[in-house]
Amino acid sequence: MPIDVITAFIGFFLTLIIFSYLIGDNPLFRIAVHLFVGVSSGYAATVICYSVLLPRFTTLSLGDPVQLVIGLVPFFLGATLLTKLTPRISWIGSFALAILVGVGAATAIGGALIGTLIPQAQAAMDALNFRSAGSSSEAVFKLFDGVVMLTGTVLTLAYFQFSAKRAPDGTVKRNPILELLAWGGRVFIAITFGVLFAGVYMAALTAMIERLSSLINFVKSFLG
Amino acid sequence: MRIFTAVFAIASGLIVLLGYFFPNQLEPLRLFLVDWAVIIAGMAVLVGVANLAFVQMEKIRTRQKNGSYSALLVLSLIVTFGLGLVFGPQHQIMRLAMDAVIFPVEASLMAILAVTLIYASIRLFRRRADAMTVLFLIVAVLFLLAIMPTPFGPIPGDWIVLEFAGMFSRGGARGLLIGVALGTLLTGLRVLFGIDRPYGGN
Repeated sequence: MPIDVITAFIGFFLTLIIFSYLIGDNPLFRIAVHLFVGVSSGYAATVICYSVLLPRFTTLSLGDPVQLVIGLVPFFLGATLLTKLTPRISWIGSFALAILVGVGAATAIGGALIGTLIPQAQAAMDALNFRSAGSSSEAVFKLFDGVVMLTGTVLTLAYFQFSAKRAPDGTVKRNPILELLAWGGRVFIAITFGVLFAGVYMAALTAMIERLSSLINFVKSFLG
Repeated sequence: MRIFTAVFAIASGLIVLLGYFFPNQLEPLRLFLVDWAVIIAGMAVLVGVANLAFVQMEKIRTRQKNGSYSALLVLSLIVTFGLGLVFGPQHQIMRLAMDAVIFPVEASLMAILAVTLIYASIRLFRRRADAMTVLFLIVAVLFLLAIMPTPFGPIPGDWIVLEFAGMFSRGGARGLLIGVALGTLLTGLRVLFGIDRPYGGN
């Protein structure tokens, strides 16, 4: 039997089994999900071995002992992570984890700063730059667009400002002005999440159409 | 020991962070440490997969409820990983695993999300029918109608919805993105200052 036919058969039945969840949770759905977790974990582990670990391991310089030892250190540190599976000696793996967390934190700071904060702040400033506007009506629209976006950015950030003072009666309340700004922020957040929800729903619908069309095509090809 | 792990984390983090600002002096060291972190992260994923297998095997050994599902998971994991190690991820057998199991199940799970999202929206409206919920659902429905291809072409006035919802959502999204970035910055700095020690150095 050609491999394409086997692939189509398995894919067809797994799709039907996953869709059976719409009727309710059932043993077939659980079988499909456990199979999926097992296969995808095994596949991910394979890809990591072939794409991350093996290329670095095979390029270790065997001629220079110092370079070889330095090159083997991360592999050794990675191996110590296995001790995390045994609570009694799990401290051995903390060094590897410390390097991972330290480098990860620094990379995250760099990414947040260079990849988000600076470009987003720049874009917020550029939104009020009218030099590129051709006509006066275009400039008015650009001004409106820029003001709405800037207001949205400020109000959304204000919503996440949770600092509050304790009133004489013991209750904790935010500043009334901040409370008002936060309410405006909620409006912007609700609209943003509405748009994001629509986008995710559209993606899910596209996946639904693709799966249904694959089921129909399979039945058609099977019936000839 | 706790101090040593903190020193490891802070030193490696500071070198990588300073490498962004002093590329001429620290760039090679930064790349060297990032490469180390990539290897350790790769091995951490392998340890995670091993842990998944051990936990499921423990379920089988202690004859817990639904142990047969765990057996299927462990078997499929071992077979896929074993075949992958022997033949490599580009081999036809591994493509079978991807095309017959991973892609159809992922796409089908994404597809049933279309139904579960509707269900979640109805539940949201029942449990918390305030002004923000109504606004959220109205925007979602209007935006969906505006971007969705219909058999009778675009709905009238779809550009107004796209223009205004886009304008407002861009402002909100920018605020959320800046908020997330500030949160990431703060969390990263807390780790680099040794205030948070998620590597077990507390």
